[in-house]
Amino acid sequence: MAESLFQLVGRLSRPSVWVGPIFDKELRVSSRRKRNYFLRFGYLLCLTAFIVLVWLSSVNLQIRGPVAYQQAKMAEAGKIIIVTIVIFQFLATQFITIIMLSTSISDEIYHRTLGVLMTTPINSFQIVMGKLFSKLLQLLLLLAISLPLLAIVRVLGGVPWDYILSGLCITLTSLIFAGSMSLFFSIGGRRSYAVILTTILALSVAYAFIPGLTVWLLYYTRLQNYLIPLLAVFNPFIVMAMESQTVLQSWGGGVLPSFFWMAHCGVMLFLSSLILAWSVRIVRQAALSQAVGENPGPWKPIFHRKPSEKKPKRKTPVNVEPINDAIRDVVGSPVVWKELRAPLIQGGRHHSLIGLVLAVSALVFTYWMGWKDDLLREDNTHMSYVTIFMFMGMVCNLVLSATMLTSEKELRSWPLLLSTTLEDREILLGKAAGVFRRCLPVWLFLAVHVLLFILAGYIHPVAIVHLVLIVSWIILFLTGSGLYFSALFQRTTTAVVANMALAIVLWLVVPVVLGFLIEMADNPRPFLFYMRLHPLVQTSITMRGNGGDLNAEAPLDQLRYIWPDRKLSRIGNTNLTLLSSVVVYGGAGVFFGWRARKRLRKNIF
Amino acid sequence: MIETQKLSKYYGNLAALVDLDLKIDQGDIFGFIGPNGAGKTTTMRILATLLEPTRGRAFIDGLDVTRTGKEVRRRVGYMPDFMGVYDDLKVFEYLEFFAAAFNIERKKRKAIVEGVLELTDLQSKRAAAVDSLSRGMQQRLGLARVLIHDPKVLILDEPASGLDPRARIEIRELLRELKRMGKTIMISSHILSELEEICDHVGIIEHGKLVFSGTMEEIRRQMGIQSKMRVRVAGDRDRAFEVLSSLPQIKEVRPEDGYLAVTYAEGYEIDGTIARTLVQAGLDVIALEPEQLKLDNAFLQLTKGIVH
Repeated sequence: MAESLFQLVGRLSRPSVWVGPIFDKELRVSSRRKRNYFLRFGYLLCLTAFIVLVWLSSVNLQIRGPVAYQQAKMAEAGKIIIVTIVIFQFLATQFITIIMLSTSISDEIYHRTLGVLMTTPINSFQIVMGKLFSKLLQLLLLLAISLPLLAIVRVLGGVPWDYILSGLCITLTSLIFAGSMSLFFSIGGRRSYAVILTTILALSVAYAFIPGLTVWLLYYTRLQNYLIPLLAVFNPFIVMAMESQTVLQSWGGGVLPSFFWMAHCGVMLFLSSLILAWSVRIVRQAALSQAVGENPGPWKPIFHRKPSEKKPKRKTPVNVEPINDAIRDVVGSPVVWKELRAPLIQGGRHHSLIGLVLAVSALVFTYWMGWKDDLLREDNTHMSYVTIFMFMGMVCNLVLSATMLTSEKELRSWPLLLSTTLEDREILLGKAAGVFRRCLPVWLFLAVHVLLFILAGYIHPVAIVHLVLIVSWIILFLTGSGLYFSALFQRTTTAVVANMALAIVLWLVVPVVLGFLIEMADNPRPFLFYMRLHPLVQTSITMRGNGGDLNAEAPLDQLRYIWPDRKLSRIGNTNLTLLSSVVVYGGAGVFFGWRARKRLRKNIF
Repeated sequence: MIETQKLSKYYGNLAALVDLDLKIDQGDIFGFIGPNGAGKTTTMRILATLLEPTRGRAFIDGLDVTRTGKEVRRRVGYMPDFMGVYDDLKVFEYLEFFAAAFNIERKKRKAIVEGVLELTDLQSKRAAAVDSLSRGMQQRLGLARVLIHDPKVLILDEPASGLDPRARIEIRELLRELKRMGKTIMISSHILSELEEICDHVGIIEHGKLVFSGTMEEIRRQMGIQSKMRVRVAGDRDRAFEVLSSLPQIKEVRPEDGYLAVTYAEGYEIDGTIARTLVQAGLDVIALEPEQLKLDNAFLQLTKGIVH
């Protein structure tokens, strides 16, 4: 008895029992992939650049005065740099984890190896753990890369070790949670960009939407005193923010008790284990359905139902011809026709309808809440709504445009289309029309909101002109770049990531870098001019100028728009700025489209 | 109808096709065979205007494939080795979509689609979702698609791969029908015996080089298979060996799997002498079979069978 127990413990203490040969295989494969080396290099490069910018903006190199004062200033700078590194790691590694694990199971399903794996002694627990830990190991390596930097900054003083420890633990547990979520969604999603977006959406709901709603609903109740600890225990962003605030505040007092981060880490690990347990269960179902020759399909394993729970299908007589009216005539350009015929959401009309009803209900609910608190008269309210719609439209456009040609390549229908007599221009225009059509529901939300509140007298009608200009150049630019990347690459995920990266660099990385440079520059106007061409800046500024009951009733010449440089405040200049964006970004979109046309018949196979 | 002149394609340092010279006459079925990675698909992709050659030229119906791509595409129906299908289209819509893509007038499309559905025996599947079809049906649909614009030339890359024997026979019958319709067909396959039955000409390619091109008769002649016969007698096989060896028309006799493999002397035309001599010698002849030319044999003899 004791001997068998000893053997069991001995067996369980071997790592191979937990992760199986999948772990070895993943490490071997990842060591051969160039992208992992590029990832480490890119990560280090971004981290270094970020620290340099923070250093330059936070430390005055001309510190003069007594030695004690200089040391105090250096210690202050050390704190800022450490907090920057920890927050950078916290955000970047979560994002990288989501990307790295987005194909973990879907690749096995796509290459039809999952069913094969299940015919070996490897169990689904080992598959899930092997995939997760092999990626986590690489992420730990990324975290370890920055340790020397942390050590160097420590020399400056003022850096508490417990903050570094808590920061690393919060980062680690949050990336385990994000990774588990991504792995979970990868079981049902074939395309990694869809898994990435779904995971980000799910995490946004968990970390932002639910806390926001909770705060809103409980704000006036007695429970509000317990809100922050309650939300923080499930939310690494809040805990990280609180910990960082504690370090940065000179008086040292924190909002949360010092041991709170440990409780948070425990909760995150527990939640991760729940998701992983569910993943283990559905991986087996996905593998079994593949083994019997079924295609698990998108989300099928996740929403798997037992056969007994299924409604009995209506009996159809044998040898009955399917109804012919289901066949639709091809009208106009065949590419446009095909794109228009494709369902908006994979899964059919029911899913589209349910999604639409849920979205409209949520929107109406927020309108009702806003009306109750008399917020709909505020310019900031409409600025927020329209900026959110604009952001959604941008994401939709940049993702879908990048999938247009690569999905044909992945389906292997691309050579068939190119062997017809269709002109390249015709194919590209058809695909662009397809992008517009598929994004239309999102843009319709924006249009309906603006029209509704123009009629209600809360938005000035000139907002239509401004928004049409902004939406036009966004569509032109993102569709052009998406089609270009789609023509350039073979895989949908690569094209989507490239188009996303372009948008992130243009509208997130560059503004952040410029933000630091503005601090140091004598003349910040060139940097501020760049910000005028930012789509979300344009949206928020025009909506702030056009939104609200006061602005809605104002004559055109009294409308004021507060641009970053505070110079262009009248409508004429605003129109000019928007038109110049149409020219610059629209031109760039057309250029990308032209390049896509050049690339169309290259790299076909 | 199809002609290539010193056609070459390089992928970096890898030579996929080296100085390929081909000529296929109108109305011929040309079998293109070779081991994996030999350059068959590359050749077909160049002819279908989907790939540009590194050097050399290719013509279809007298048109240069690299310079007059659109005109060539109008004349060519290309079926790739793996046919992609759209998830969300029905069979009729799929064919109508390609009819529209080939600029066929809208009022004519329906009749044309019905015609190719009938030809490929897919009428019963007209409203079925394309991705729900079996592999055999999808191959038929692929053939229907390449016929939709009534091309003069069909380029079919392994149309029978992955099909069961019944479906292969059906595809073969369909190709014969297309030949009767006057189409020029270039077909590649690993099912070599199938090409043997339907092809007028064959080309054998290895390492991007054409190692043989000609008619079935020319293959027979080149391989010397035409001058061989297998003889089986009841009873004394040694006696039969002696009788046959003594004949001046016979160059060599050797035992092989219970038969006697007989090689004629050069220039000998089969005239019944062998059978008559054996009977006169009191031997009962059970079988007398001229050795059949098998493309498989020719393929193995002509190529080294190196798989890339």
